Amino acid sequence: MRRRYRIVVVVVFMVCAAAGIAGLSALGTASEGPLSSALGWLGVVTGTIEHRVRDRIEGPGRRARLAWAAPYRDDAERLRHPDVVLLGAYDGGIPRTLDGVLTLETRIGAPLPLIQVYSAWGDKPDQQFPLRLVTAISGLGSIPLVTWEPWLSDFESARHPNLPLPGARDSHGLAAIARGDYDVYVDAWAAEARRFARPMLVRFGHEMNDPYRYPWGPQNNTKEEYIAAWRHIVDRFRRAGARNVLWVWSPHVAYEYWDLYYPGDDYVDWVATGVLNFGPIAQWSRWWTVSEIFGPKYPRLAAFGKPVMIAEFGSLAVGGDRAAWYRDALAQLPTRYPAVRALVFFQVRDDQTVTYQKVDWTFIADSGVVQAVRDALGRWAPR
Amino acid sequence: MRVRDRVIIAALAGVGAAAVLRLADWWFRPAHVAQPALFVLLSLAFWYAVSRIVLGWVNYAAIASPAPRTAPPGLRVAIFTTSTPGEPLAMFERTLAACRCVRYPHTTYLLDDTRDPRFRERAERYGAVWLELLDVPGAKAGKINRALALTDEELILVLDPDHIPFPEFFDPVLGHFDDERVGFVQVSQAYYNQRRSFTAAGAAEQTYAFYGPGQMGLYGHGACVAIGANCTFRRAALASIGGHGIGLAEDLVTAIRLHAAGWRSVYVPVVVSRGLVPEDLGSFYRQQLKWARGVYEVAFTELPRLATKLAWRQRLSYLAIGTYYLFGVTTPFFLLVPYLYLWTDVQPAAMSFAEFLSAAAPVAVVGGGMYLLAQRWLCDPRSERGLHWRGLALKLACWPVFLAGTVLAVLHAEIPYIPTAKQAVRGRFLRLAWPQLVMIVVFGATVARVVYRRAHATSEGSLELSAEAVWGMVAFATLPVIAAVGALYAAWQARRPRADAPWDAVDVRTIGGAEA
Repeated sequence: MRRRYRIVVVVVFMVCAAAGIAGLSALGTASEGPLSSALGWLGVVTGTIEHRVRDRIEGPGRRARLAWAAPYRDDAERLRHPDVVLLGAYDGGIPRTLDGVLTLETRIGAPLPLIQVYSAWGDKPDQQFPLRLVTAISGLGSIPLVTWEPWLSDFESARHPNLPLPGARDSHGLAAIARGDYDVYVDAWAAEARRFARPMLVRFGHEMNDPYRYPWGPQNNTKEEYIAAWRHIVDRFRRAGARNVLWVWSPHVAYEYWDLYYPGDDYVDWVATGVLNFGPIAQWSRWWTVSEIFGPKYPRLAAFGKPVMIAEFGSLAVGGDRAAWYRDALAQLPTRYPAVRALVFFQVRDDQTVTYQKVDWTFIADSGVVQAVRDALGRWAPR
Repeated sequence: MRVRDRVIIAALAGVGAAAVLRLADWWFRPAHVAQPALFVLLSLAFWYAVSRIVLGWVNYAAIASPAPRTAPPGLRVAIFTTSTPGEPLAMFERTLAACRCVRYPHTTYLLDDTRDPRFRERAERYGAVWLELLDVPGAKAGKINRALALTDEELILVLDPDHIPFPEFFDPVLGHFDDERVGFVQVSQAYYNQRRSFTAAGAAEQTYAFYGPGQMGLYGHGACVAIGANCTFRRAALASIGGHGIGLAEDLVTAIRLHAAGWRSVYVPVVVSRGLVPEDLGSFYRQQLKWARGVYEVAFTELPRLATKLAWRQRLSYLAIGTYYLFGVTTPFFLLVPYLYLWTDVQPAAMSFAEFLSAAAPVAVVGGGMYLLAQRWLCDPRSERGLHWRGLALKLACWPVFLAGTVLAVLHAEIPYIPTAKQAVRGRFLRLAWPQLVMIVVFGATVARVVYRRAHATSEGSLELSAEAVWGMVAFATLPVIAAVGALYAAWQARRPRADAPWDAVDVRTIGGAEA
């Protein structure tokens, strides 16, 4: 009896301990402990509640003004096949503030239902699922578009003993993703995305065919590895139940054979590319219009049968008439490129990602451009 | 200390050390530095606070108490108690009567400069030797030194006149002088008036941990200190350092000099006398100012001079004691941080509030656990156990006093030695509570401004993204406001002190037995 009693006590203790540990681990995300996760969630909830209270006091906010976009932001199926052109922007004030986007839409007189943010892979708190940002974007009535960049060397070796040293990770890094080496991170992100629950667009590994830009390019990986990684990630998200995530495949169409990187109709919801006019500031560039940059590639992009997105749209000021550039581009968009269903203004004051000097993509201070954009959009953009 | 307890403390301290390392690793990330100068200041303040917690663990790890020794017969023992003008006669009546009841044969001396014949009359009525010591510089300690020259007992108990010794006072004490190297034996300090007001309860609570596990840990490190109220000295020891130390922290100064001269000290954690804590907030503030100013002499004068003669554990202990009141410098900085952010958007450190909480929580949990665990070594656990929230509230309220003490010490400014009031004095509410009231007004104005700005003047695009930071800071500013309520209540109570004296209800014959 005595022995049986002891065994019962031990078993009960083990069961309770296992339940407690399972509960604690379920509270946290894989990369955050339960406490930080709960506190982060508390912060986000505080913000959401405060926003609602503010709407009561100050009257309805932007979300109410964007009510016409509700079908797309609340229903993933509608966002998969939109019947309007959704405008959007990325602004250099992100992640600190979204005010830049709001100012821009006031100036150009057209609402921006898409707001783009950039999120890198890694261990740091700001490299986790950007819950606060996407919740804030959703609170403003917009749809989050997250450009998700697999910077594999940002994972700390000490926390990931199974990974090669940071310097060796980029070589065939996409194959490692496809093998599941980064599933801890991918699954945590997917679980958070599922918890967010509202439709969101994720642009993973953009410009994967450009050998000079990002470590996930063809200098380190084959296109088969890229496609395998993409499919693996989408599968992980589907397994996690994150069906609210729509996948935006975004090659750099200036390089040949970009269409060979297409992961497949079942794995892609949108196809996208950037349309950025650098003008004559770089040796490889000159003043190119949208027809020159995008026109020749459009038929192939549209042929995938998916809605097309111009995910980074803008022109520098030097070397031509910027107002005319925007006017012409926007005027011909609905008629010449009817498959384009999203256009995201790229508004960064000091961009250094491509060139060695800082370049300014913003046009908000240039009233000529603002007027041109305003006029062009006035003819066709939803109010 | 039993082996089991030692293992538990060591394990907790080990977990705590890991938690502190983890916190440090997180705290000192380069990305956290927002304003370099302010970050340095905040780090100093924060890590001072953490270091106090760690020093507490270091101390608790050494907790020890001496094996009991019976007092051998035939020792020649004196009790010195001092009276100064203005001290209430009725209190001496109790103390002198109680001294006569102390069982071990001894001589009681009243060191008197009141020029009041009634004191001589009372001394003689209770069989004490009356020594009139007029115009002796050095206040209480000066009179003790003068009396040492006039007497010849080998052991001297220096007893504050508010302390009522129990008849068995010397029984657990004198045996330890068998060891020729022991210079003084200190017993616990306890009170008989801590239930008479909020201030008294808080002031007493602040001392419980020190007279229990605190002094026992110091004893384990070979550095338990003398407390002027009820310490028994060996005459030869005092003679070796040129007499009792003089100054606001005369007891600490005496202790460090004796340790430096090679004498050992013994801490006996028993309650064999009870005295008074300040009952009104004004008297408490004056006592704390005196201590804060005085204790810095250990850090500024004694420790640099004597450090080479102390063992390293004694050095660490005295350094910990000597820097205790820096709390008064760091607290205002912590108080300022949320207001700086809420009014000017300036943040010393770019830390997420949620992340800070999760990084600091393990240290706080271990610290709290250790505090509660150490309560088993309280001298009178039955009456002393608890969360000691009154003591904490009073300590937080004391930061202006500690700051003043620090500034006076740095400026080497003297403040007069005045014995702490024995009976509550009436205080004006506004005069005592204005620092708390100012803080509450500033807090109210800040919250009003935050609410207004968040409702009407914050752009919609920043609202949700800044919610965590702003409301986290408001929460951070709320904690000291809650703590201020305790001090406000104490100040309110000080308007009407109790009319009866604390010793009215004391019966000298039962005070020890009733508590035992």
